[in-house]
Amino acid sequence: MELTRTSPAGEPVAVIGCQGRLNMLAAPALRSFIEETLGEGHEKIVVELSGTSFIDSSGLAALIGGLKAARQSGGDLRIAAPSDQVRSVLRLTNLDRVLLPHAQVSDATDGW
Amino acid sequence: MTLAPPAPNQASIDAILELETHALQRFDRVVRLAQQLFDVPLASVNLLDHDFNFYQAQFGPPSQLPSEAYDFCRRTITEPGPFVVPDASSDLTFGSHPIVVGAPGVRFYAGQPLVSSGGQRVGSLCILDTKPRVITAPELRLLRDLADWVQKEADADRELVRASEVQRQLLPQTSPVLPGWDVAGRCQPAREVGGDFFDWYAVGEQLQFVVSDVMGKGIPAALIAASIRAVLRGTSRYNGLQESMNRTAMVLEHDLAETATFATMFCGRLDPVSGSLSYVDAGHGLTMVVRASGRLRRLLSDGRPLGAGFGESLTAHQTRLEPGDTLVCVSDGFLDFFATTDEALTAAMGAVAVSSSAEEIVNRLCRRDGTATRTDDLTAVVVRRQATR
Repeated sequence: MELTRTSPAGEPVAVIGCQGRLNMLAAPALRSFIEETLGEGHEKIVVELSGTSFIDSSGLAALIGGLKAARQSGGDLRIAAPSDQVRSVLRLTNLDRVLLPHAQVSDATDGW
Repeated sequence: MTLAPPAPNQASIDAILELETHALQRFDRVVRLAQQLFDVPLASVNLLDHDFNFYQAQFGPPSQLPSEAYDFCRRTITEPGPFVVPDASSDLTFGSHPIVVGAPGVRFYAGQPLVSSGGQRVGSLCILDTKPRVITAPELRLLRDLADWVQKEADADRELVRASEVQRQLLPQTSPVLPGWDVAGRCQPAREVGGDFFDWYAVGEQLQFVVSDVMGKGIPAALIAASIRAVLRGTSRYNGLQESMNRTAMVLEHDLAETATFATMFCGRLDPVSGSLSYVDAGHGLTMVVRASGRLRRLLSDGRPLGAGFGESLTAHQTRLEPGDTLVCVSDGFLDFFATTDEALTAAMGAVAVSSSAEEIVNRLCRRDGTATRTDDLTAVVVRRQATR
C-alpha cells in the first residue's frame, strides 16, 4: 500500500491518498500516518479511497481509530471515493453512518 | 435445560493435525537449508517420542535417512554439545555399524542435540555424508544455530498448540438439549487461534447464543475474543438481552479503544417454548432465517460493532422461529468464498435445504477447503426448530 498526503501549509484540511490493499499489513501504517497528520495540526482529514482496491476489518479499524483520534483533537475524518467493496464492508458493519462515503474529496470537505 | 455429553470434535482434531503440518513444513525448510549449507546428501530433524524412540520430523517425502542412523543420534543427545564422527569406518564405536559397512555407507556424521526451553533433550539435528569429512569450528557454530532455530520454532509451536487448545475449550463443548430444537456451531480459525468465536448457554429458561468476530487475526484477536466472551457471559446472567449487550459494549469500550480493535456480534435469546427470539446485531449483519417454505429472511442489523459505537447504543429486536424454521448465523469469513453477499446467502440457504440436521448444515457451511485458500476465521451457528408433524 502507498500513502500520500496533500496538505496545504496553514490549512487545517489534509487529504490522504491510499493506494492498494488496506489490510492487516497496511493498517498500522495508515494509523500512524493519520496520527502524524493530526500531530502536524491538520485536524480535518479526508481519506481518499479511489485507489484502495480492498479493505478488510483491520483496515476499517485503522479508519475508525483515525476518526476517533481526529474527533479527540477537535477535528473530523471523512472518506471519499470508496470502491464498491469498501462501501459494502461499511454497510455490512453499519459503519457507513459513521464514515459516510462521499463521492469525491470536494464533497467530503463541504462545510469545512 | 440440559447438556449432552461431549462427543469427539472432528474440528479440533483437524486443527491439531493442521498445526503439526505447519510445524513440520518449517522443519523441512531447515533441513533443506542444512543440506545446502553443508553440501551433504542427508540431513534430518529427529524428535524423541514419549517412549524415547526417534522419529523423523518431516512433512515432505522422507529423506533416505535409514532408521539405524538413530543409533548415532542416541549418542548425540547424551553429549553436551555436538557429536561428530569424521570418518565412521575408522571409528571404534560405529566402525562396524550396518549403515557404515553396508548401504548407504555412511562415513561422516554430525549431530546437534535439540534442547527444549525447559532444558530437556528432545531430539537432534543431524547431517550425514558418505565421504569422510572434517567439520570446522564455524561449521559447528552454524549447525548449532540451525538447531537453535528448530528449537525456537518447536517452542513457539508448543505454545500456540496450547493456546489453540485453550481457545477451543472456550467454545461450547456440548449442544443444548432442547426438545423440539436442534442447535450446532463450529469455529475454524484461519490460524492456530483467531478472533472468531461462538457461544451458547442457558439464561433462566432461555437459550442465549452468540457469534462474534473480532477484527484482525491470530493471538491479538484471540485475547480480545476471550474478554468479550467473558464479559457478555457475566452481564447476561443478570440483565435482559439489550441491557447485557450495551453493558458489555460499555465495559469493553476502553480496552477496545486502547487496542484499536472492534468486534462485530450477533447475540440472540430464544424462548424454546414459544420460539420467540430477541436479538441484537452489532455490525455483524450475516444472520438469516430460512423458513420451512424455503424462503429466506435476513435479520435486521442496525447496531454498530463493539468498540465503534460512537455513543450510539444497541437495540434488541424481536422475531419468532416457527416450526421448520432454521436460523443461520455465519462470520464474514464465509463471504470470502463468494463474489457477493447475496451469493453467499444463497449458498447458505442451499446448505439448509439439503441437510437433515443443524450439525450437517454447519459442516456444509464450514467445509470450504479446496474452493479457496482460507485466510479468515470462519464460524457458523445454526438453530433449527423442528417441524411439527
